[in-house]
Amino acid sequence: MRRAAPPRQRPSTKPPEGIHLTVRAARARGILAASNEEASISSLTSSAPLATVIFLVTIALVITRPRGLTEARAALLGAVVMVLAGLLPLGDAASNVGGHWNVLLFFVGLTGAAAIAERSGLFEALAGTSARLSGGSPRRLLVAVVLAGALVAALLSNDAAALVLTPVVYVLVARFGLEPLPYVLACTFVADAASLALPVSNPVNVIVSDRLGVSAVSLVPVLLPAAIAAVVALLGCLLVIYRRQLPAAAPILPAADSWASWAGVPRPLLAAFGLAVVVFAIASALDVPLGPTLTTAWLFLLVVERRCGREVAPLEGIGWSLLVFVAAMGVLVDGLSSAGVTAWLASLVLGPVRDLPAAVMAVSAAAAAVGANLFNNLPAAFVLADAVHGAGLGTASAHAAAIGTIIGADLGPNLTPVGSVATLLWFVLLRQRGLEVSTWSYIRVGLIVTPITILAALAVGLLLGVPR
Amino acid sequence: MSGPRRVLVAIAGAEDPTIVAELAGLLGSDAASLEVTLLHVVDSGPRGLLPIGPGPRRGPWPAPRNAPIQGRLTASEDEGATALLAAWHDRFAAGLPGATITSELRRGEPEHEIIAAATASRAGTVVLAARPRSGPTDPGPRSLGHVARFVVDHAPVPVLLVRRSA
Repeated sequence: MRRAAPPRQRPSTKPPEGIHLTVRAARARGILAASNEEASISSLTSSAPLATVIFLVTIALVITRPRGLTEARAALLGAVVMVLAGLLPLGDAASNVGGHWNVLLFFVGLTGAAAIAERSGLFEALAGTSARLSGGSPRRLLVAVVLAGALVAALLSNDAAALVLTPVVYVLVARFGLEPLPYVLACTFVADAASLALPVSNPVNVIVSDRLGVSAVSLVPVLLPAAIAAVVALLGCLLVIYRRQLPAAAPILPAADSWASWAGVPRPLLAAFGLAVVVFAIASALDVPLGPTLTTAWLFLLVVERRCGREVAPLEGIGWSLLVFVAAMGVLVDGLSSAGVTAWLASLVLGPVRDLPAAVMAVSAAAAAVGANLFNNLPAAFVLADAVHGAGLGTASAHAAAIGTIIGADLGPNLTPVGSVATLLWFVLLRQRGLEVSTWSYIRVGLIVTPITILAALAVGLLLGVPR
Repeated sequence: MSGPRRVLVAIAGAEDPTIVAELAGLLGSDAASLEVTLLHVVDSGPRGLLPIGPGPRRGPWPAPRNAPIQGRLTASEDEGATALLAAWHDRFAAGLPGATITSELRRGEPEHEIIAAATASRAGTVVLAARPRSGPTDPGPRSLGHVARFVVDHAPVPVLLVRRSA
């Protein structure tokens, strides 16, 4: 099974035999044989409409979550229907899920470690340090919040930064008597801007590189500088946008010792986090599979947490729903893929530029950003990665496509609060329930910040990620 | 005019403290007959944007435990708002000696809450800064923030806009 191959494997590697693979290989050859439009359209099988409908209905369910249906269950439902409709043999679906063991373990470790960080008071301590460093200057506080958010997002994933750090920052800013909006937005935006940096920074990074058969670690030399460029661009944008809205000094200065300090975080746990980061970095450099490494790091942190006398709830905060979602989405996209839909998309989007890595990168970034805003960044990343893989690009182009897709899918969602125009439905629903949510104040900033950060990251990506 | 004059002063928090003196000049020397209500509204908008509420979620990442977070958010809002009102209470007490000064805290959309408070308190005048966040503003286009604009449009009583010219 192609997917079972370690992430390091290049897409050009000849896959072992298998029914599903024969279908894939035939499709890939069809695309490879002729890149003219007629040939690529004929590669759509007769089951393509059905597969597309199942996929789109599933995405609609994922986004709207009717009657409390969770994202994971909606995706699972779609995957089951895809198999029942005969679009993907059950065996293939099972081996697909099994083949992603590395990614699934990766998310177990990542969500577990993030939960330990949340329990340990790390986020509060970081926010407290930001407060003290700002000295009550709203502008310096904004810079500190962006840097803290970038650090958390890079090391513990964008979602941890957005979900855990943003409320902590809100508390911090409210105590200063400042208006929270600029800081809340800064935190949400930087969570995504900094999430280019490392494989652990965004689930998208691992999923894209896994499906493209490109090593996630091999992208770090390009994506880390791109993340820095995006964060700097974001910070510049925010300081310009809020240049007149931030008062010269905070209206209230809470006592310096009233902020959470690092003393509240157990020393051994802090050291264990540092050790985990170092070990993980070394293991990545040595090409050890990331999933088992991260899971081991998580177990190690759990042991240290228990030794510190902390109340340990080992399974609390593990992203089971994320695992189910990722596995189900993989099956769904494979169904699309078998029907020839993703290959058709690839020929449509990448066909004319397939041999120009720079153009491939730009086009896939744009496609991923548009897709992320049309439905959601995870499904968009899945579809695009599969499309690019099916297009049978050369090594340089595949590398460029991975970088482009990650940039687009990571930064694109900044346009709207949750990465999808369709979720604006939610704001309408909330308004009907009498809950006022200022969507416009978000989108207005997102419309400025998103294109600029994408361009900044893309510029770095083109500079460092395209062989010349 | 006989009897106490009720004035509702909407405080966003970051206004320049000199507005107290400016207001004292405008309201006249008879501060003892003034009943000033300081109103601060905790804007519910930014909190609604946090990705932890009842709204759209950030994908299938496990949500942090919600109840204690909401409690902490409310507590910090209360702490900040109370401290703000206390600070401004002191400034008004110093700038308008003899006046009766009370504080009021509301939650919601500031522009709507200011109108509701003005109606409920039967204040004779609503006072607010034209653009409390952006510092000094000269009269001219866009010299009113959206809150001030809404209050001017909807207030049931005269509105006094204080601005500090650059």
